[in-house]
Amino acid sequence: MNLYVLLSELGRGMLISIEIFVLTLIISLPLGLVIAFGRMAKQPVLRIFFKIYISIMRGTPLMLQLMVVYFGPYYLFGISLSRDYRFWAVIIGFGLNYAAYFAEIYRGGIESMPIGQYEAAKLLGYGKAQTFFRIILPQVIKRIIPAITNEVITLVKDTSLAFVISVTEMFTVAKAIASAQANMMPYVAAGIFYYIFNFVVATTMEKIEKKLSYYR
Amino acid sequence: MKKIGGLISVLILMVVLVAGCGEKEADTFTVGFDQNFPPMGFVGDDGEFTGFDLELAAEVATRLDRELVLQPISWDAKDMELKSENIDCVWNGFTINGREELYTWTDPYMENAQVFVVRNDSGIKSMADLKDKTVVVQKDSSAEKAIQDNTLLLETFGELIKAADYNMALMDLESGAVDAVAMDEIVARYQLGKREGVFEVMDEDISAEEYGVGFLLGNESLRDEVQEQLVAMAKDGTLKTISEKWFGSDVTTIK
Repeated sequence: MNLYVLLSELGRGMLISIEIFVLTLIISLPLGLVIAFGRMAKQPVLRIFFKIYISIMRGTPLMLQLMVVYFGPYYLFGISLSRDYRFWAVIIGFGLNYAAYFAEIYRGGIESMPIGQYEAAKLLGYGKAQTFFRIILPQVIKRIIPAITNEVITLVKDTSLAFVISVTEMFTVAKAIASAQANMMPYVAAGIFYYIFNFVVATTMEKIEKKLSYYR
Repeated sequence: MKKIGGLISVLILMVVLVAGCGEKEADTFTVGFDQNFPPMGFVGDDGEFTGFDLELAAEVATRLDRELVLQPISWDAKDMELKSENIDCVWNGFTINGREELYTWTDPYMENAQVFVVRNDSGIKSMADLKDKTVVVQKDSSAEKAIQDNTLLLETFGELIKAADYNMALMDLESGAVDAVAMDEIVARYQLGKREGVFEVMDEDISAEEYGVGFLLGNESLRDEVQEQLVAMAKDGTLKTISEKWFGSDVTTIK
């Protein structure tokens, strides 16, 4: 196998990893906010439900969660699945899991806002939703960006867990080529791919952080 | 209330997604295989899946007029993949011995043995030399089963480690962290050809065995269709041709 084929195969695997990465973020970032609200709800049933949800999602391995999402519909409900579901199971599994982590980050950010801000907004005639989206949320986002960056970078590397339900993302491709060729090059190349991916992610997040620090 | 509505709609969306995936194509033939298993099924030099077993599967699919779908699987999830009908069969140097009752099998199409691979400078020549040594097997492989069954031998080992795939096990062996790998002879010979002068196969076999195509227990109709094509391929010499291409001789056993 020549270098060109090796790189293009890894590139194909990387595309899958990127797809998982992007779709997971699209689902989990907003879902995390919903869960954070649920977790902070005054209604006790709702609050306890989300507390348990977060506890389960953070307390069990993502690998196990992926298997449950993928095989669960068949084993629990007898629904037989098509080939496409494999990929969607990964997205649902990752989305639900990361949303739990993001929810706690959001909650930390929202609860760190001084009560005076709410009072001032109320005096100025802002409604509840307006206060949250115009005043609180922008500040929260600013504060939580470093914590979010941490999770996002972990997500890049976690995409390799997708193979537990046989989605051939980059690391799986690297492993397969390594065993066919009986050498270590594919692993080295995969490492470099991951690093570049994360470098781009980290740089982007840093740019966003800078852009948001408009008071300094 | 808005928040709850949002959450409910997310849940509904998920249910719809799952339900939408319900129907199953009948004109495909989905083969599950461990893609880290050369020369039976692996990633070829051109980046496409290739291998002896996959070539046989492709020929069978053509003759059945079904579209072949190659689905690499995580080896320890093969039962769940079969039961949930994500794959039609496991065709991947799949050892029948010890699994007779667990799957619906075709007739064995080739013979294999479980052997020990050691470093050629290790001085390990026989199973007696493996006393207090560290041995690796692939998790859920028939090598693991063969060793577990041989309790007398197993007790002499220092430690038995389970690796995710053979390549990992052989890397462990090459680096000196372990002393022997128990694996399929067919695969061992292929790997030895790739890494010349590092390993050798011990003369003593652990067990002799046969490969077959495994279907979900009870799926006799599909098994019969595949079996019929294999017999036809043996008759018209297709099996021989494919076997010679991969192994240099006819190793197939279907009559």
